[in-house]
Amino acid sequence: MDEIQNTLSLINKDYETINLVTFDEWIENFEKLSKLGVGLIIGPADDVYLIKEQLDFIKLIALDFNNFDDGRGYSQAYLLSKRWMYQGEIIGINAHLDQLQFMIRSGISSYQLLESYQGSNEKDYSNGFSMCYQAAANNDGLTLQY
Amino acid sequence: MYHYNAEDKKFLLERVDQFEKQLNRYLSGELDEAKFRSLRLRNGLYMELHAHMLRIAIPYGILSSNQLRALADVADKYDRGFGHFTTRQNIQFNWIQLPEIANLLRDLTDAGLHAIQTSGKATRNITADPLSGLTEGEIEDARPYCELIRRWFNLHPEFSWLPGKFKIAINGAKLDETALRIHDLGLKLVRNNKGELGFSVFVGGGLGAAAMIGEETASFVPIEDILSYLESTMRIYNLKGRRDHQKKLRIKFLVRELGAGEFSRLVDEDWQETKDDPELKLNLKELESLKEVFALPIKSINLDGFKEVVDFNYSIWKKNNVRNHKVSGYSIVNISLTKLGSAPGDATSEQMRILAELADQYSSSEIRTTKRQTIVFPFVRKDQVFDLWKSLEKYDLASPHQGTLAQIVACPGRDYCDLAKAVSIPIANRVQERFNDMKKLLDIGDLKINISGCENSCAHHHIADIGLLGMQKKGEEYYQITLAGETLIETNIGRKLGPSVSGEKIVDAVESIVNVYIDHRKDEEKFTDVFKRIGIDPFKEKVYG
Repeated sequence: MDEIQNTLSLINKDYETINLVTFDEWIENFEKLSKLGVGLIIGPADDVYLIKEQLDFIKLIALDFNNFDDGRGYSQAYLLSKRWMYQGEIIGINAHLDQLQFMIRSGISSYQLLESYQGSNEKDYSNGFSMCYQAAANNDGLTLQY
Repeated sequence: MYHYNAEDKKFLLERVDQFEKQLNRYLSGELDEAKFRSLRLRNGLYMELHAHMLRIAIPYGILSSNQLRALADVADKYDRGFGHFTTRQNIQFNWIQLPEIANLLRDLTDAGLHAIQTSGKATRNITADPLSGLTEGEIEDARPYCELIRRWFNLHPEFSWLPGKFKIAINGAKLDETALRIHDLGLKLVRNNKGELGFSVFVGGGLGAAAMIGEETASFVPIEDILSYLESTMRIYNLKGRRDHQKKLRIKFLVRELGAGEFSRLVDEDWQETKDDPELKLNLKELESLKEVFALPIKSINLDGFKEVVDFNYSIWKKNNVRNHKVSGYSIVNISLTKLGSAPGDATSEQMRILAELADQYSSSEIRTTKRQTIVFPFVRKDQVFDLWKSLEKYDLASPHQGTLAQIVACPGRDYCDLAKAVSIPIANRVQERFNDMKKLLDIGDLKINISGCENSCAHHHIADIGLLGMQKKGEEYYQITLAGETLIETNIGRKLGPSVSGEKIVDAVESIVNVYIDHRKDEEKFTDVFKRIGIDPFKEKVYG
């Protein structure tokens, strides 16, 4: 089983340290937390529809991709980024190198790999696709053919 | 016919490169067993009982003669000289060595063949009616739609890690040769009262241990909106499907737990947000160009002066294997790979090359595969059918079994498959031996027997007239019998006859069932009609009495 990193805080693209709360904490304490500029950790089982109207108050979103076979994070990333146009960063945490192509195209803005991949040669995992057959949340750099 | 272009082939090579890296990391111990399993299945690779099985996609069951030659080369170079055509119109090779897979796949890319999503929890090969575009009365030729939908869900970033596998069938004909309502998702081409073309959508069908018939979630989705509707269906499944119970992963369980009405409401709610997104509209320009590519390569010919050859064996074969074509002067020829002693669906490399040669000569170089594990030549001139038959007979490919009880569908069973509980192929062979009399077979008529070696139901036993399901009882092989499954006009799951029957006695039981049918049928009444009329009891009495 892969280890889950301690992600109580994350550094965003502007090098600010953002404190993170769990999805349940956010739902329970929305009034208080929405004023603090915190980020949110979202697990695969969390119902993102519940925060659809609260996105402006969330400083950063960390989607947890630790479970290799659980694909819910890809739909969550699509809904947050493309459908609801969340303006903050969506970081895929506990990411697996073999799944980066799916995460990035589903709409995450950056990723943090599981510790077990540290020191791996990322070229061994590179996907190298030059085209895609569908429009997704992010089609950057790909020729679309459909 | 449709061929991959240079860009498509480049994509296939990129996918092979990616898979090779994954494989090398597994072989060096860098990638663990569980993750490799997940990755290899998405590339059609199974670790089987004796070796490794690789499934190659035959999208909607259409092959060119050159593609069939490429598959024959693979059978010789990487397997033991044969391949196995599956009930989902694909082909699989059972004796593949792990370190050779990347080279095998590279060999196939030039022919436009691949193993992408032939297994795993993603969208599988889309199946279609093998007679698409060939028969009168079709609503619309499904093939261009199959291709556009296949492309869209090829390595789709959002839907490549679903709770379970996702099988789609698309039918454009009035009769349902695709069995679409036993698929995770079935699309039926329909016209609304304005004459516009669209799809009826059926979700939540499936076989396996809990066989279910798909429910209609939308009666009419305009063709240009089908991609967004499919995405919404898969999104609801991806987010809400069961992931906590290995036996409840398929969408059929979600549809039943929520109720079809609630499931389709959720899909519709999601769809309202995306149906007008121009990026998700079906590319109608590409659709038109695909229609041209898929246009039939033949035109009507006048054969007024043609006289059919009179030959007893030919006439028997022709009665069972040849169908009318909508283009006058042409026939559709069905070639059975089933003969006494052989595994249903198996073809040797030599047979594949002969079929490719004959397809070049008689069928505009096109071959189709069917869910009954047969081969179809779609474009044979009526005045050349006899010559084709003579060639087929010369190479032992003129089995007249098509359309008879002897055209048995069977999975590889315990002889090859790691999951199977009992053998399938030897039972098929024993049934064929018991009915090894052409006169009797013709008298019985088109009675379908399907044999699955386990509950995964690869041989679709639930939708056969007589379905046999292999199981283990105290270390012995037993078979559960289901009767009167059907999909062609209406969809019904076969009814369980009673207690399972031992492997030793199963052929006697099949013969008893056939005899009840013959004793009760009126004129040319079909098995399912007799069953509906007389009920299950006469069959029970004969088998267990």
